[in-house]
Amino acid sequence: MKQHPCCTDPEHGPNVMGLPIPTGLKQEWAELETRRCFLGRAGKVLGWAALASLMGDRMLTDAAHAAGPAATAGAAAGMSATSGDSIRLANFAPKAKRAIYLFMSGGPPQIDLLDYKPQLQGLYDKDLPDSVRGQQQLTGMTSGQARFPIAPSHWAFKQYGQSGAWVSDLLPYTGQIADDIAIIKSTNTDAINHEPAIMLMNTGNMNPGKPCLGSWLAYGLGSMNDNLPTFMVLQTKLNEKENNQPVSSRLWSSGFLSSEYAGVGLRSAGDPVLYLSDPQGVDREVRRQMLDAVNAINRQTYEELGDPETNSRISQYEMAYRMQASVPELADLSKEPQSTWDLYGPDAKIPGTFAYNCLMARRLAERGVRFTQVYKRGWDVHGNVTGLLPMLCGETDRACYALVTDLKRRGLLDDTLVIWAGEFGRTVYSQGGLTKDNYGRDHHPRCYSTWMAGGGIRPGITYGETDEYSYNVVKDPVTVRDFNATILHSLGIDHNKLTYNFQGLDQKLTSPVPASVVTGLLA
Amino acid sequence: MGAAADRWLPQNPRLRRTWGAALALSLGLVLLPWVARLDGKQHANWLQFIGRFHPLAIHIPIGLLVLVPLLEIAGKHRASLREAAGLVLELAFVGCLLALTLGYLLAYGSGDAGSGVTRHMWGGIVLTIGVLASVLARPWWVRGSEERVYPALLGVTLTALLWTAHQGGSLTYGSGYLTAYMPPPMKQMLLVDVIQRDGDAGGSFYAAHIHPVLDANCVSCHGATKMSGGLRLDSYDALMRGGKQGPAIVPGKPEASLLLTRVTLPPDHKGFMPAEGRPPLKPEEITWLRAWVLQGASATATNLAGISIQAPKGLPIQPVGDYSALMPEIKLMQQGLGAKLLQVSQKPSDGLVLYTVDVASNFGDAQLAQFAKFAPYIVEVELGRTAVTDASFATLAKFTNLRAIHLEGTAVTGNGLAKLTGLTQLTYLNLSETKVTAAALAPLKSMKNLQNVYLDNTPAQPAPAATE
Repeated sequence: MKQHPCCTDPEHGPNVMGLPIPTGLKQEWAELETRRCFLGRAGKVLGWAALASLMGDRMLTDAAHAAGPAATAGAAAGMSATSGDSIRLANFAPKAKRAIYLFMSGGPPQIDLLDYKPQLQGLYDKDLPDSVRGQQQLTGMTSGQARFPIAPSHWAFKQYGQSGAWVSDLLPYTGQIADDIAIIKSTNTDAINHEPAIMLMNTGNMNPGKPCLGSWLAYGLGSMNDNLPTFMVLQTKLNEKENNQPVSSRLWSSGFLSSEYAGVGLRSAGDPVLYLSDPQGVDREVRRQMLDAVNAINRQTYEELGDPETNSRISQYEMAYRMQASVPELADLSKEPQSTWDLYGPDAKIPGTFAYNCLMARRLAERGVRFTQVYKRGWDVHGNVTGLLPMLCGETDRACYALVTDLKRRGLLDDTLVIWAGEFGRTVYSQGGLTKDNYGRDHHPRCYSTWMAGGGIRPGITYGETDEYSYNVVKDPVTVRDFNATILHSLGIDHNKLTYNFQGLDQKLTSPVPASVVTGLLA
Repeated sequence: MGAAADRWLPQNPRLRRTWGAALALSLGLVLLPWVARLDGKQHANWLQFIGRFHPLAIHIPIGLLVLVPLLEIAGKHRASLREAAGLVLELAFVGCLLALTLGYLLAYGSGDAGSGVTRHMWGGIVLTIGVLASVLARPWWVRGSEERVYPALLGVTLTALLWTAHQGGSLTYGSGYLTAYMPPPMKQMLLVDVIQRDGDAGGSFYAAHIHPVLDANCVSCHGATKMSGGLRLDSYDALMRGGKQGPAIVPGKPEASLLLTRVTLPPDHKGFMPAEGRPPLKPEEITWLRAWVLQGASATATNLAGISIQAPKGLPIQPVGDYSALMPEIKLMQQGLGAKLLQVSQKPSDGLVLYTVDVASNFGDAQLAQFAKFAPYIVEVELGRTAVTDASFATLAKFTNLRAIHLEGTAVTGNGLAKLTGLTQLTYLNLSETKVTAAALAPLKSMKNLQNVYLDNTPAQPAPAATE
């Protein structure tokens, strides 16, 4: 009878790993063992060291014992799948196989971009009626303002396409894809400050520690390409003139899921992945041998302790090894035809720009990456809206259009979901002074505009409505939970079924509060 | 009418007065449509308010009139019932007058006009006169002096009732209400038009997409039977003619087209259409309408730029068989070739997808052929940027459940694409960045389900010129 190395009673107790029980239970047991191990180690201090060392190299599992060192990659894959193969499948046939999320961090002002409110022009500098604002608590940045003067948009709007969607003159390119996208005017969130709001959008919870959307997808659907991560993050280089809010790696953390589901970032400048190239004198064979040796040691640790994070480490080393081959090919844009550059514009040739990242997102989609999130910071326009917005839109508008058009041309839009969203909207009233030429806008959680396109989304529609001040949603509200439930649905996942038991709760992306798929957005 | 009336009118002065009044009333009813003409304009709101009780009031005379023949027949055996029949008939007459008045107020107040309204109105007038005549003829029948006139009058009245009620029902529910779900043999027997479509413009965008939308949502009020606002939408000509408020459609100008304005108002707006709580048009239907108007509102144009409507899937998606038993074999195959055969979903009947992206450059026709044994279970093959060639078409032809084929960036030239025509489930074919020519694509035209063929950057569809 085999015993856990830390077991204090060698004569009794069955070996859990040997029992004919589901592998999921065994896994849970193994995870508990790590805690026991901690106590065991604490025990050593109290004088149990001798007994622990007497236990020697007892093996935890027969299966792990059987796997020889040669089958490194296979064993790693096998072990990481102990959470059960059945989980890693769509609940139903999906419309989209992959998604690209263009995250507009900071909170784009819906009134200046997609939520057309012509009647506000007549209300310039009038006070926002108290009845509209109600009892809402404002941010500290404007709660002290003596008055809340209405700031109509500085820009005119035009109708585009067959759908006749109204789009700001700031987004002439987005207007051209009006018939391909579904504009959601009624997105609303619970948080009024950046960090909680951006966490809520990405993880379904304002508190850190939960897995983000991309991690849930990686966990729920698995990979289509072993040579690239399932979930990738592309950050856009900072524009120092803009008001940039920090974007932290918490946003692509896998939370309580295995860290192999965390997003992998490509750097926005220099080498896409640091230390990707082997140093001089180290060829690929040597690298392989080194990894085999490290993996062997890691496997030993896993066999001893049963901590699944050890397996994550093994699989991440293996991924990095494979990325040494796949990333250079990915980042090599020399074979892109001229039509690509005509579409994306000259910015796309400069690594780290939003246009470059959109092009990269398309290349990742082609290569079977499930989920790519592109972050663009700087939308936090508390002041100088007329100075900042043309800059922000100039950086993003054409690239958004190019990405959707490119995917459509290449036949990828049928099964790729494209999402454009920030963490909240901005107020109709001006923050700070309002002049004919300039104004500021504070955070506004009650309504903001987003759009989706492709994979299973009904094209050319505008969903939801806001009141005449673009302040409250008056029709078809879409909460962040509903928004995320809809994204999962598009990818073939029932948001109520993609769960992970943690801290005694079947955790899910859409939080325990009921959420529903927005069927009006589905094709 | 002097002498003739003298002969027919009874000599009893009281009866004579009754008959005189009845005649005058009948004449008044017949002349009513000329006195207060239904001019199709809206009149005072209170008229409509009262008039809207018409659908309620009509049930009084209907119920009573149906009761009359029953009471008369049953009266053969029980005299008291026959006595009651007289009262019921008289009450029915009062009910008729009430319903007629309210109905007229409704039609006059709301400005509804049209042949259906007219027919219904005349039905009501004839019916009321019929009931009145029955009331007057009944005493003869009861006394036994004239046995045939009353039953005949009653028969005519009941027929008029049936016809009028049907006309009224058609106004409310639309003319196809009764026949819509009639069993086909019955329809043929009754020679009901199975499809009442506007002409046979056949493939035109109007016939295929605009007319059905109007037919389903608007024609019950804006049709031949009821022309609310003087507007009919049941034919192209009528639609373009517009109504009392002006043209419904201004070709090329969606913003000036009243029809589009009305269907896109906020649903709680007074002028929102479809009115009275009927479900609003679907977003895509509004999109079609707008596009159709924008591009000239033609009766014959078959295609609109920027609008592609996918016909409802001709064939339902065929579930594939259960491949669970083959899973060990599939796993072995994956380990050997590196290509992945992944399940579409937890439901085995959704099939498998072949992914080759990991081994693209080493995956050629020979490797593809090895997957042929799983062919019936594979619904999609991702062969983008692999080494497959035109020889792969012969293999792919065996994948009878294929819905999507990705061949982008491969060396295929399209030679042999004809072999794929047997794939009846195929809806998606991506040939972007290949050497496929337009000529090679010709055989695909016969594939009805194949909706999405992508040819970006091929000889068949060269890269678009720079847009800058």
